[in-house]
Amino acid sequence: MATFTTLAERPKEHPDPDATQVYYTSNVLRLFAEYLERRQDTQVLDLGPICEETIAFLSRRVKRLYVCDMFLRMDRDRRRGIPPGRAWRHLDYPPQSFDGILLWELADRLEEREARKLAELCYTLIKPGGKVVVFVPGEQAVQDVVNAFVIGDGFRLYLRPQPHLDLPLRKRQNRNVLGMMAPLKSVKSFIYRNGLREFLFQHD
Amino acid sequence: MLKRTRSENDVMDPAPSPVSATGKTIIGKQVAIEGGIQGSEDLVIDGTVRGSIELEKFHLTVGPKGKVEAEIRAGNVTVSGQLKGNIKALDRVDITKDADFNGEIKAKRISVEDGAYVKAVIEVERESQKKVEPVGKAIDSFASAPGKESIPLVSEGDKGK
Repeated sequence: MATFTTLAERPKEHPDPDATQVYYTSNVLRLFAEYLERRQDTQVLDLGPICEETIAFLSRRVKRLYVCDMFLRMDRDRRRGIPPGRAWRHLDYPPQSFDGILLWELADRLEEREARKLAELCYTLIKPGGKVVVFVPGEQAVQDVVNAFVIGDGFRLYLRPQPHLDLPLRKRQNRNVLGMMAPLKSVKSFIYRNGLREFLFQHD
Repeated sequence: MLKRTRSENDVMDPAPSPVSATGKTIIGKQVAIEGGIQGSEDLVIDGTVRGSIELEKFHLTVGPKGKVEAEIRAGNVTVSGQLKGNIKALDRVDITKDADFNGEIKAKRISVEDGAYVKAVIEVERESQKKVEPVGKAIDSFASAPGKESIPLVSEGDKGK
């Protein structure tokens, strides 16, 4: 029961003129925020692309917000010829550190093997009962560039292109996404009219 | 007794000074410092500093060429260069797109530009009067827009019910 608004319908006073046509109210984000409200002394990991609006949103709701922009790290590694499998050295956190992890569209920028490695890593880093958020942009024009998911008021999300990032897109069907994240249990998922999909996974 | 009068040459004197007219100290590109820095004015680091920096309520800027590895306490901090360490700011921390930051941040406000290379632990001091938006608000907005619902794709949590 979320709203999706096209560019034409978007409010004229939209705060970011660079935002793309994707602009909608996120069900998964609302569920994630509700979940954070129920926990105490929460620690959440945001894997980027980092943006200040999202940092502001999350840091008001958690005790400690960990940010590690994996998009930027993978992009830099790729330009230096470092194999993708070495990217995970950056996520050197102790097991069961986090109540929540925000992957955004990171998995869609990874080959199958690395995506599964990421899912395993999330399973290791998340506390029992912890939640993992995954987004998959829908429209081709939106998918062509990496986007930051910018959180506004009322759990509205819009996408801000990150032209400095050059990471190839790996399109996945829903069943592939669910299979890839297999160590984690799928709790909820939604598809929007523009094809954007959002998933909430949980560590049992 | 000779009394020196100010001339045009004095005004044009290009001799470098670590303290600018606006009351800030600049650590230049060619300067490396190891140890503790304490100050009561703004500080700009374009060189290399390793140790600790305490500026009370004043502003620390790590310039684009600056390289800092330090524990930092200041009023405000702006990072445009490399900084490894922990920041405790009385008010705000600004991280620009050219920054490479690794460490912890404790502040009232934080801004991060897109493109900044950041690995951080962030703790924002919560102002008691500032309330987090209740989650119910979003539900109201969904209800007010009939016909624009998302489609629940999969709902593992509901399976078997």
